[in-house]
Amino acid sequence: MKHLLTLTCLIVAGLAASTAAAQMTNPVQIVEEANIASYYAGEDGRSAARMLIVDGNDNRQRRQFTLLRKDVADGGDQRYLVVFSRPADIRGTVFRVEKHVGEADDRWLYLPALDLVKRIAAGDKRTSFVGSHFFYEDISGRGTEEDEHSLIDTTDEYYVIESTPKDPDQVEFARYRTWIDRETMLPMRTEYQRASGEVYRRMEVTEVETIDGYPTGTEARMEDLDSGGYTVTQFRFSEYDVGLPDRIFSERSLRNPPRDWLRRD
Amino acid sequence: MGRRIASLAMDHPRMVFLGTLLLTLLGTALIPLIQIDTDPENMLPADQEDRVRHNLIKEQFNLHDMIVVGVVNESRDEGVFNPRSLGAIHSLSEGIAEIDGVIRRDLLSLATVDNIEQAGPGTIRFEWMMNTPPETPAEAAAIRQATLDLPLFRDTLISGDGEATAIYVPIEAKDQSHRIAGEIEGLIAGLDTDDAFHITGLPVAEDTFGVEMFIQMAISAPLAALVIFALMWWFFRSVTLVVAPMLMAFAVVLTTMGALIGMGFTVHIMSSMIPIFLMPIAVVDSVHIISEFADRYRPDRGARETMAEVMDHLFTPMLYTSITSGIGFASLAFTPIPPVQVFGLFVGAGIVLAFILTVLFIPAYAVRLKPERLEALRAAGSRRPPDDTPLARGLVHLGAFAVGRAKLVVGIFAIALVIAGYGISQITVNDNPVRWFQSDHRIRVADRVLNEHFAGTYSAYLRLESEQAEAAPQRFRTQSRQIIEQARADGVPIGDTWTQLREQAARDADGFRALLETLSLEVEDQLFTADDAAYPWWDELLALIDETRGELNTFQRPGMLRYIADFQAALAESPAVGKVNTVSDLVRTVYRELRSGEAEDYRIPDSRQAVAQTILSFQGSHRPHDLWRMVTPDYRAANLWLQLSSGDNQDMQAVIGRANAYIERNPLPEGVTMSWGGLNYINVVWQDAMVKGMAQSLAIAWVMVALMMLLLFRSLIFGLLAMVPLTVSVALIYGMVGLIGKYYDMPIAVLSSLTLGLSVDFAIHFIERSRENYRRTGNFAESMRQMFKEPARAISRNAIVIAVGFLPLLAAPLVPYNTVGIFLASIMAASAVASVVLLPAIMKLGQRRIMPDRPNASTQSTGEAT
Repeated sequence: MKHLLTLTCLIVAGLAASTAAAQMTNPVQIVEEANIASYYAGEDGRSAARMLIVDGNDNRQRRQFTLLRKDVADGGDQRYLVVFSRPADIRGTVFRVEKHVGEADDRWLYLPALDLVKRIAAGDKRTSFVGSHFFYEDISGRGTEEDEHSLIDTTDEYYVIESTPKDPDQVEFARYRTWIDRETMLPMRTEYQRASGEVYRRMEVTEVETIDGYPTGTEARMEDLDSGGYTVTQFRFSEYDVGLPDRIFSERSLRNPPRDWLRRD
Repeated sequence: MGRRIASLAMDHPRMVFLGTLLLTLLGTALIPLIQIDTDPENMLPADQEDRVRHNLIKEQFNLHDMIVVGVVNESRDEGVFNPRSLGAIHSLSEGIAEIDGVIRRDLLSLATVDNIEQAGPGTIRFEWMMNTPPETPAEAAAIRQATLDLPLFRDTLISGDGEATAIYVPIEAKDQSHRIAGEIEGLIAGLDTDDAFHITGLPVAEDTFGVEMFIQMAISAPLAALVIFALMWWFFRSVTLVVAPMLMAFAVVLTTMGALIGMGFTVHIMSSMIPIFLMPIAVVDSVHIISEFADRYRPDRGARETMAEVMDHLFTPMLYTSITSGIGFASLAFTPIPPVQVFGLFVGAGIVLAFILTVLFIPAYAVRLKPERLEALRAAGSRRPPDDTPLARGLVHLGAFAVGRAKLVVGIFAIALVIAGYGISQITVNDNPVRWFQSDHRIRVADRVLNEHFAGTYSAYLRLESEQAEAAPQRFRTQSRQIIEQARADGVPIGDTWTQLREQAARDADGFRALLETLSLEVEDQLFTADDAAYPWWDELLALIDETRGELNTFQRPGMLRYIADFQAALAESPAVGKVNTVSDLVRTVYRELRSGEAEDYRIPDSRQAVAQTILSFQGSHRPHDLWRMVTPDYRAANLWLQLSSGDNQDMQAVIGRANAYIERNPLPEGVTMSWGGLNYINVVWQDAMVKGMAQSLAIAWVMVALMMLLLFRSLIFGLLAMVPLTVSVALIYGMVGLIGKYYDMPIAVLSSLTLGLSVDFAIHFIERSRENYRRTGNFAESMRQMFKEPARAISRNAIVIAVGFLPLLAAPLVPYNTVGIFLASIMAASAVASVVLLPAIMKLGQRRIMPDRPNASTQSTGEAT
């Protein structure tokens, strides 16, 4: 299944590159493929992430963490483990996420200095990810079924999708537009709008590398246009299909992070 | 001199008119460029130390000026915590977020903040407090309970009694607050609610004040013109004559205001009063001229000759009174408060301009009048003998009393001075921009209601800042070198590797903080491969790196947070402090919810790492940036936000005193310094500067005026005598301020210099004319008798013109204007009385020394007599 999809993906991308006639026209299909391209590359994945958080006054904070991911089903449930290494004060802090499609995710937080595992109650996922301008949802992906999508433009390079939330009370945006690269199917830019049409938040993928055959966004920038602050996340040492065992995504792993899988090679 | 200038003007009246007209047109043309400034910060120069720091603190902690909207419902038990009210508040909050100029991300309302709470065993929940309005009373009650449970919100977002809520609206610039407040009112009008909404906050007060300032200038100044016109008509009964000084006063006001605006100065609360000050002062000299001209004019002599004679006679006293008034006002330039300086200098310049125009324009105007007009004027004047008015008769009696009961008069004044001295010792220095509004103004009402319900709508910021980071790199180098040395002594040579790592890290990292980060990673790598001998040394280096990093994050250390917690508790005991919000509250609250949610876990965690991880949990909320209003991202500075329930400077001063006393008893941790910011603090700073500055400018002006008097009278005794009425007036007025308990605020402070400038005029005229009479008669009693005829009348008329001219300030909508109006009228009365009663009484007592009767005195009469 997984390989078939990848194959389709590659074929579609190849066709799109060669001739504009082979373009896709179904917005839901485009969005779903983009979701797979950005969040489901390989059976699993590992990556060292570095975040630079800059506020409107040019104050800087840094975060460094390792991101481990394993898919339960392609395009479906996933497991994440986020283990922080820097700054030193939060070293060993871990997030564990059981992502469910169509229902609320399960999330846990481990704080080593408090020796505390805390479950984070299901709520909306549009809260800050560790103080950055990215939301949890930007890290683990927003369910494609949560919005209505329409294809508003197809350029030589991009599909431009406009998405409106099915439940506007749960989100702070009125709509957002995504520019999806027709070749890689990676969303290269997303702009969130208020009801007035004002764009207040913008995500851009500023670097793409092909890793193990998967086009991967290795640098992304999220801007808060209200405050002028932004966060740049760089992914390094990314690898796919490394064979992460299920046990490292267990509750036990929170207190005893899987060192072997966190070391960068 | 006077004769020559008047002749020149009368020879070229067209040029005088044209010049005056051009000057006025130029001034008027500049007036539309007007820039209103109501920002109390501008009471201090832009580069003033405290003001610079205040702005630095605001920038450092992303603080903005705030409009406060309070919502109160006193008819229901649950207050506003019912579905209907909360629905309205929710939609209001959303509406406010859309207003241009509102800083949306910092908007604080039930609809924009997060709730942190327990959600079952081992579970914490971060969610919007009120993402959608509640539908049932139970849901509304839950919101109420959740808000009350969070210390950062209690008494800030929700009143302690759980009945009222507030919306804090941060704005980009203070000068937009009036518009924004208006738009908020528009939104409120469209709500489905029966709650009471109150809008306040210093920015609204200031901006509303600016608007009312325009009203003052549009109402009080023209009203003053009208009153003065009516008064002069009453005195002279000739529209033709009275029109001249009026035109001249307009020319002076328009030119002065035009010059002020054209030179790029903003119109501040003080300078908005310039028109109403210049108007009466400008006509005073003309009153003297017209008075004498009307008395002396005979058709056979002609207007030209009469005017030349009058001008010759009046030029010197007018010159001196104008210069002394000018000095009185210009002395305000010695106060360190720019708006007061501008006010003083421009009124001073306006007075000089008024003098110049008076000696040119009035003669030119008189000579252009047709002879039949002048004849009619004379006829009107002679219909009523000048000696037979109630004022004239009253003055004669007053004069007889002053001279006849000289000892009594001097005694009464002496007793009054003693009482005034006591009054002055009772003066309380205090100001509060919100009190500038009348007590029934809606801003004052909102202020009262909201400060009853909440911790306070006034803000001060206490910043604690650590200097430890400066010494840290040096200390780190020394300590790491010691470890390396010890290792070498122990036979473990790790020095070269260490130097290499450090140099590498120094190249890669920008700043000491980043260097430490990089180094710690490298050292950890060393630990992986290190042998048993080297391991403890690398471990020690790693510990040093961690410790140094921890030191840099001063305000993440549990000890520091506990210090802040204790400090804020002590500050909150101050009656004016409703509440103090700090990073310690935030850490304790999040820690409590991470643990049990119970009160016993409301505490600072025990290690720096635990604090950091508690904060990291908070950063996973909707508003992680709220943290940076309490501490800087490098944890080198912390901000204690004091919510004050009073905007009175004396209350703020008490809080500062309390803070100082606290750090006296509980010294700040080493390397930590304390400083203040916030508008309430700024107000205290400029108030201090004002009190000191006023004393200084008053002293300088007094000396300068005294020197002028010595020069004018060429006599030490008469020079000092001339200073008596104004000195007595100032003392009496300030004594009264102290006795009636009126706060010594900005308008009261500037009164001293005004008094000085205005009341010396009366003394000059009185002494000058007394000496003239004495030269002529050689007899003191006779001189005084003549004094209480025409000269005393002229002085009284002038006092009345000025006093009544200021009274329209009472019609102004704002308290400082009213204050100035009432006090200036009293000052005029006091100094006129001091001049015409106290002066002759003192002169009588010292008569033998200063005006001994000459034997054959009565024959000395000259043609000067009128």
